[in-house]
Amino acid sequence: MTLASPLPTRPAWVTRPLTVLAAVRRQPAAGVMGALLVLVTILGALLAPFLTAADPLALGSDTLAEPSWAHPFGTDDLGRDVLARVLYGGRVSLGIGLFSAAISVGLGMTIGMVAGFFGGLLDEVLMRITEAFQILPKLLVAVVVVSLIGSGLLNEILVIGLLSWPATARIVRGRVQVIRHEEFIAAAEMSGAGPVRLLARHIAPNVLSFLLVSASLQVASAIMSESFLSFLGLGDPEHPSWGLLLQQGQLFLQQAWWLTTFPGLALAMTVLGLNLLGDGLSGSHAAPARSRR
Amino acid sequence: MLPALLRLSLRRALLALPLVLAVIAFTFFLIRLAPGDPAAILAGEAPTPEFLAQVRAEYGLDQPAWRQFVAFLGKAMTGDFGTSIYSKQPVFTVILERFPATVLLTGTAMVIASLIGILLGAASARRAGSRADALISAASLVGYSLPGFWVGQLLILLFAVSLNWLPAGGMVAARGSYTGWRHVEDVAFHMVLPVATLAVFLLTMIARFTRAAMVEALDQDYVLVAEAKGASRRRVLWNHAFRNAAVTTVTVIGLEFGMVLAGAVVVEIVFSWPGLGRLFYDAIHRRDFALLTGAFMFSSLVVIVVNMVSDIGCAMLDPRIRR
Repeated sequence: MTLASPLPTRPAWVTRPLTVLAAVRRQPAAGVMGALLVLVTILGALLAPFLTAADPLALGSDTLAEPSWAHPFGTDDLGRDVLARVLYGGRVSLGIGLFSAAISVGLGMTIGMVAGFFGGLLDEVLMRITEAFQILPKLLVAVVVVSLIGSGLLNEILVIGLLSWPATARIVRGRVQVIRHEEFIAAAEMSGAGPVRLLARHIAPNVLSFLLVSASLQVASAIMSESFLSFLGLGDPEHPSWGLLLQQGQLFLQQAWWLTTFPGLALAMTVLGLNLLGDGLSGSHAAPARSRR
Repeated sequence: MLPALLRLSLRRALLALPLVLAVIAFTFFLIRLAPGDPAAILAGEAPTPEFLAQVRAEYGLDQPAWRQFVAFLGKAMTGDFGTSIYSKQPVFTVILERFPATVLLTGTAMVIASLIGILLGAASARRAGSRADALISAASLVGYSLPGFWVGQLLILLFAVSLNWLPAGGMVAARGSYTGWRHVEDVAFHMVLPVATLAVFLLTMIARFTRAAMVEALDQDYVLVAEAKGASRRRVLWNHAFRNAAVTTVTVIGLEFGMVLAGAVVVEIVFSWPGLGRLFYDAIHRRDFALLTGAFMFSSLVVIVVNMVSDIGCAMLDPRIRR
């Protein structure tokens, strides 16, 4: 594994961003493979117009056609090109994943930092709330909320983001509890820094390295959550995500294997890539943290 | 032993109560927050004026908000979740009809996944860093990353559509209603694919957490002492390391039970399994909100109870927690 420096007060990648790449490179198989998988799906979604001439929403006369040169992934029951739907669906799935993760990581970081820094009753209350959120069946809560409030991209993003913060909050809280007793915090406190300054300038940068791990796992879980909602019929038909494609594929499972195989493959590849990346990154960061004892 | 455990169980139950109340309150506010008239939401689309008036009176929707909440809370606490718009039956009755199928599916998957997951996790931890460990860890990460419903769909494509070995869905054969032992056989036959789908997700999760906990346990002094005393490898692994790691495994199963139930929901949809998950799906599509919110409150209650039981289970496994 990685060699730990004896006193890592601030992760190297904060000061030298290029070391993120170095960290990934140190975790040969897992991290790099994850990064590659994620890169492929991001490029596929971004470059969709260059990769296929077909329109994901355009109806065609050739319905439920098997994969061919004209339609590499086949067509669906309305004659729409599945390759185009998978590529453009990536924009929806990845977009929802990114935005929801931004909400959940931001919220989790704030709550975790406040709980870990102030401790006492505030910590106790925040942690009870966090536990409650963790125990509740997140996806079922999301289903009920979206059913009642209405589906749509924004609602999906908000609901997933607002329900997914506890994991990040707990990790960050644990980190902050350790950092809180470091000497550089005491030094900053003695030179008159108030709690806001301490949190923003001294603690937040030290938590950021963990957020990178958290963020990639959160994007993965948000994409999964979105596919869950879409699979239950709560997706936005105007913006078909991979989950929505899988829901439509379910109806024709016996006749058209390509309707479920390809969107599912894209979904699985992305989630696996993000999980591998998160694991790789955490491997390279967890080592110094553990050796401190 | 019993009094301490009993006290703990009572304390856990008291801690769970606010959570149950929170779920009910949340559902109540959600119905009020949703666009439109709460009565219309609970009565479904285009209700007859009589039914609308009945719902309005039933929930006291003409009364002030706090009175409505008290009425809603009182009803929910006694298992009165309203009337299903579609089937016109009490929601609670509909849920209880479907619940056993979900218990059968999740229970079986849980038992199989725990056995295999713990074995794999322990085998992986014992040879931490070896090639076998890397293989098991990689496989469980892949399994963990696969969307459950897609795994189910692929299994159907392979075993039901292509090979025609197993049924693609349902709980019993459509033609011929069997009784007695033949019925049990028939259900078991239909269970193979859905249970396998759900177990893949559970198994990889349990294997991952068990491995982590076992690696940590094997590093402890008590393992060293046990080894020094000449205990066999197997004894050290299961009696010393696993007894301690099991607490983590049980905690994880409890904490992730919400995910397990969500997994069961999609698996039931893929395999047309007549359980609670299928009910969610039907309720969403028929816009049967009384049924949907009822099923939600009921599932949340199940999750909270499982969590409580897993907490108590941990205390039974580890006397240190009992205090």
